[in-house]
Amino acid sequence: MSADRGVSGLEAATRQPFPHIEAARAETNRRLRERRKRFESVEVDEDATVVLTGSWGRYEITSESDDDFMVVFEGFVRDGARLSVEQVARILGGRAPGVEDIFGKPVALEDLREKIGRDEDTNANLTRRMLFILESVAVCGADVHARARTSLIDGYLAANVKDYRPPRFLLNDLVRYWRTIAVDFESKMRARKGEGWGLRNAKLRLSRKALFAGGLLPVLGCYRYPASDMLDYLDERMSVPPLDRIADAFLDHGAPDPGVRALNAYDEFLAILDDSDQRMQLSALGVAEARDSQLFTRIAELGKEFEAGLLTLLFDDPELHRWVRDYLIF
Amino acid sequence: MSTGVFASARGDWPGLVAEACRISTFAVELSALSGDELPGLLAYLRANPRMPFRYVAIHAPAKSRAPDEAATIGMLAGLPLWVRSVVTHPDTLSDVGRYRALGTRLVLENMDDRKFTGRVADEMEKFFEDLPHAGFCLDVAHVRAVDPTMDAAHELLDRFRARLRHVHLSSLDDGHHVPLTEDDEKLFADVLNRCRDVPWILEALPPNRWAAHMKTTAFVVPGAATATEQM
Repeated sequence: MSADRGVSGLEAATRQPFPHIEAARAETNRRLRERRKRFESVEVDEDATVVLTGSWGRYEITSESDDDFMVVFEGFVRDGARLSVEQVARILGGRAPGVEDIFGKPVALEDLREKIGRDEDTNANLTRRMLFILESVAVCGADVHARARTSLIDGYLAANVKDYRPPRFLLNDLVRYWRTIAVDFESKMRARKGEGWGLRNAKLRLSRKALFAGGLLPVLGCYRYPASDMLDYLDERMSVPPLDRIADAFLDHGAPDPGVRALNAYDEFLAILDDSDQRMQLSALGVAEARDSQLFTRIAELGKEFEAGLLTLLFDDPELHRWVRDYLIF
Repeated sequence: MSTGVFASARGDWPGLVAEACRISTFAVELSALSGDELPGLLAYLRANPRMPFRYVAIHAPAKSRAPDEAATIGMLAGLPLWVRSVVTHPDTLSDVGRYRALGTRLVLENMDDRKFTGRVADEMEKFFEDLPHAGFCLDVAHVRAVDPTMDAAHELLDRFRARLRHVHLSSLDDGHHVPLTEDDEKLFADVLNRCRDVPWILEALPPNRWAAHMKTTAFVVPGAATATEQM
């Protein structure tokens, strides 16, 4: 990404630094290089890719980030396929996820692409598909990763997409995913009796919202393209981190001021996540204590500031407002 | 809405909140401009009153302040956590460093041409250097008094846009906040366009020409004499 685009572009245009976003990006790149090196000497099937998701795909690695990964095959999942989930876990140096875990089994691209909206399109399948498109980065099989992402986007665009209109199939699935995240949060908190509420709530207010907005803005932005150009546009957008997509939207729509305030709030959020004491405090925080927690109050404020910038972009820009009104409610 | 507008109800906090709700239920600035109003406001807020606002700020005393500045800061630091902002006038801060105790809740407002500091970006910069976590309240009428071209407002936003917490909106007449004039509305438009994502606090009643665009449904404010009515 050139220096006049994305987060760097917003920094350059406004002379407002985002030091914690930049630090997290540098740390992500450093650790990605190190992990990719580990895979260089490993035999991997030609149709396989290993992708890291979550904060890796957002280029927001902080000191306490996990190695969430997916093993995806362009072909069928089969016995003896390389690599297995267990092999990848060993290479990455972590514990293998359980088979019931969302990342506990190898994934076939066909399952992600062909099951959309069916009964078999479980929350887990929807989550894998959306994470793969919106925030994943390859540590091996980069070509497979790029082809698979293009294929997934293309699968959505095959559904009667009109020139100069946001693609509804992709938009609806993206909105479904965001609402699923929000409902899933409440459901998991009930099941876990509130354990880990503070940190999960903080992520819902900021990083999950960045994930959604980072998908929503490019999908709405398709109104500028004939249908034949949308795949290239979306493919390029999904190849950069969500915060870059968001920063670009603020720049492209002439709204650098709310953009700065939104990303400044996000920058402070990353600083909090990178501070092990504060992160631990958030993890231990239950809903009953949140009201009296200075730290959680600050997180809630940052979430509101991030959201206020995004809402201004979506509702006050005369062009985007039109598409939000016509496509996001019904 | 700033409750400072409703001078006749001063001290009656439930009544002031009900009046503010008649204008907007989105954001409120509870104004304790005079030091003797602060204890009553604190008592009201500590009782956790039910209010419909999404953003609650208070305006710290700028006159008749307690002689002990530390005591005032101590009172402000004890505000409930849900009070987002404490607006202060930089020219009234004697011991600037002490205000760090208010953390990110502290908000510095730019001053008009009658004050000796805090009027333009260079003067504000010195305060923000000492108070790195403080937010910024842009008072557009104050800027106009300093620079009728409003270039000074753009300079303030260029320098402190990341800190902007809310806007004070009104016109000035002989130093007093009055309803926004049509000329000022046009003059301020470009500046306000840069501030769409933060609350705008009216420091005077909305001009009559806005009446057709304003609609506030009745809200029940416990402790107020009557529920608010539709405008």
